[in-house]
Amino acid sequence: MAKMHAVQGPKHTRGEKIGQVIIRIFLALLVFIMVYPLWYVVMYSISDPRLAMQGGAFLWPKGFDTYNYQMILKTNQIWISLRNSVLKTIVGTCISVVLSLMTAYPLSLQRFRGRKFFQGMFFFTMLFHGGIIPTYLVVKNLGLLDSFLALVIPGAMSAYNMFILRNALQAVPASLEESARMDGAGPFRILMQIIAPIVVPSIAAVALFYGLGNWNSYLDGLIYTSSLKLQLMQIYLRNVLAATSSVNAIMSSVGEQSTGYLSQSSTEMAIVVLTVLPIMIVYPWLSRFYVSGLSVGAVKG
Amino acid sequence: MSERVLMERSRSQRIKKTFREIIADYPLYIMILPGLLYFIIFHYLPMFGVSIAFTDYSIVKGFGDMNFVGWKWFDRLFSRKSFTDALFNNIKYSLLKLCCFPLPILLSIIISEVWNNKYKRVVQTMVIMPSFLSWFIVYGILKALLNVTDGVLPALMTWMNTTLGTNFEIVNFMTNKATFTPYVLITYAWKEIGMGTVVYLAAIVAIDQQLYEAAMIDGASRMKQIRHILLPSLLPTIITLFIFRVGKVMDAGFDQMFALSNPLVTSAADIIDTYVYRVGLEEAKFSQATAAGLFKSAIGLCLVLFTNWMARKVDPDSAIM
Repeated sequence: MAKMHAVQGPKHTRGEKIGQVIIRIFLALLVFIMVYPLWYVVMYSISDPRLAMQGGAFLWPKGFDTYNYQMILKTNQIWISLRNSVLKTIVGTCISVVLSLMTAYPLSLQRFRGRKFFQGMFFFTMLFHGGIIPTYLVVKNLGLLDSFLALVIPGAMSAYNMFILRNALQAVPASLEESARMDGAGPFRILMQIIAPIVVPSIAAVALFYGLGNWNSYLDGLIYTSSLKLQLMQIYLRNVLAATSSVNAIMSSVGEQSTGYLSQSSTEMAIVVLTVLPIMIVYPWLSRFYVSGLSVGAVKG
Repeated sequence: MSERVLMERSRSQRIKKTFREIIADYPLYIMILPGLLYFIIFHYLPMFGVSIAFTDYSIVKGFGDMNFVGWKWFDRLFSRKSFTDALFNNIKYSLLKLCCFPLPILLSIIISEVWNNKYKRVVQTMVIMPSFLSWFIVYGILKALLNVTDGVLPALMTWMNTTLGTNFEIVNFMTNKATFTPYVLITYAWKEIGMGTVVYLAAIVAIDQQLYEAAMIDGASRMKQIRHILLPSLLPTIITLFIFRVGKVMDAGFDQMFALSNPLVTSAADIIDTYVYRVGLEEAKFSQATAAGLFKSAIGLCLVLFTNWMARKVDPDSAIM
């Protein structure tokens, strides 16, 4: 009896406590499986290439060497690719958020005539699409091929993200908009000064969806652009992973002799780390807003 | 007679009123214009662009000079082994991946059963991590893990063979056709399962706690509570997500296949989308590729309409349209 009283909160049976232990061990294992692969790549990339090649850099680096990073960061192409991906992420995300907000706001107003029609029209794009070839032909006929615009415009808005924003805007009390309108404010001003500040968390979530999508996207770059000046980081990574001796190409492009010291794997892993680094830097915000944003999106409109 | 005149008049007045309202709200239409143009140009024009699947479009001659050829490209598709192979793979991966649909639900229930909130949050933050990586990054990671000479998995297998007496055959899983299907499925589950839990966990948190309290007073066990409270509360969310999932079922994962495939496994990794990419953009056979893509999109659309119709019969609230 005395033991029972010592337990705080709701009483748990012994079976439930054992269950807790099993669940926690299972989840700990799962978390390890989710996180370990990336950890290993980081450890491998900072290990001494010759030691790492013999295997064994499983938990901690074997030796320590950043020669691979130094060589990679000396090439011009990595900086060009990084610049393009950063630009695409920043410019593309700004365009996407503004465009989505401007589309979502009228749709969130009950009095907006044609609301149902527009919504249906935009929703349908989530169910059916023409495919990459007709889209490619549209981009080509607009004269956007091999331009920076081709990296940010064709994928500028997703109906899904737009509807997440519309749901958030719909939750704002209509009286706010009405009273501002009575005072003679136009919709652009009302949206920017009154409505948008209220839904900042949703806007941030959508911005992160777009931002991550932009950073990870490669298909636009692959299909619409061909010059190295417009190469994206993801495509740079793909080319390095696909070639069998990108290490030699990198060494010769910075005017160094390939001594066989740097291994292909160690070069590849360093580039994987460089590609993933921006995501990991913003990861705490990313995961938090992703969770809240997706949870908002789960509420159907 | 006069009634009709009145009705006509009231109708024309209604139209006038509508018109006045639109005029009064014209800034809203200006605001939606860029978005409207965007969807028309980049989504509706390509939808009409699929018409080249029925013509002999060539990039040199352009849209002006093309002839209607009927179902020629579709007939040709099905006479090509490369396409029927891709279709078979597509259906195989689609169905196998669809079987992974319950995994996030299961995982969400397990996570929600943890008493310690901090533990719960850390687990949730960590399991979604792989979803943030692109498939090329995942491929890079796999190259490191599975590398036969210095990778983790071969090392682990060798260790198990020598100490535990297991009998794993050490192969390069990235280029081994025989194990390609499980390789695709496991990497898919690893990357996507975490993101799938987010919505379910939010729905589980939203369940009225009083239901649980009432059940506990009635002496219902944890399992019974899951069975009679948690699952029924989760059902509308499950159905809605399932409809969306079925709508995408024909998407067997272009990004994944594109990143993981290599010449040694092409026949096992080719799906309709990669086929479209190869035939259309590498071989520049636009009409042929568009026909293949249209075939896929049309099936996808039918499937989502059908599932939605079914869902409406079961529970009208969980239908998406």
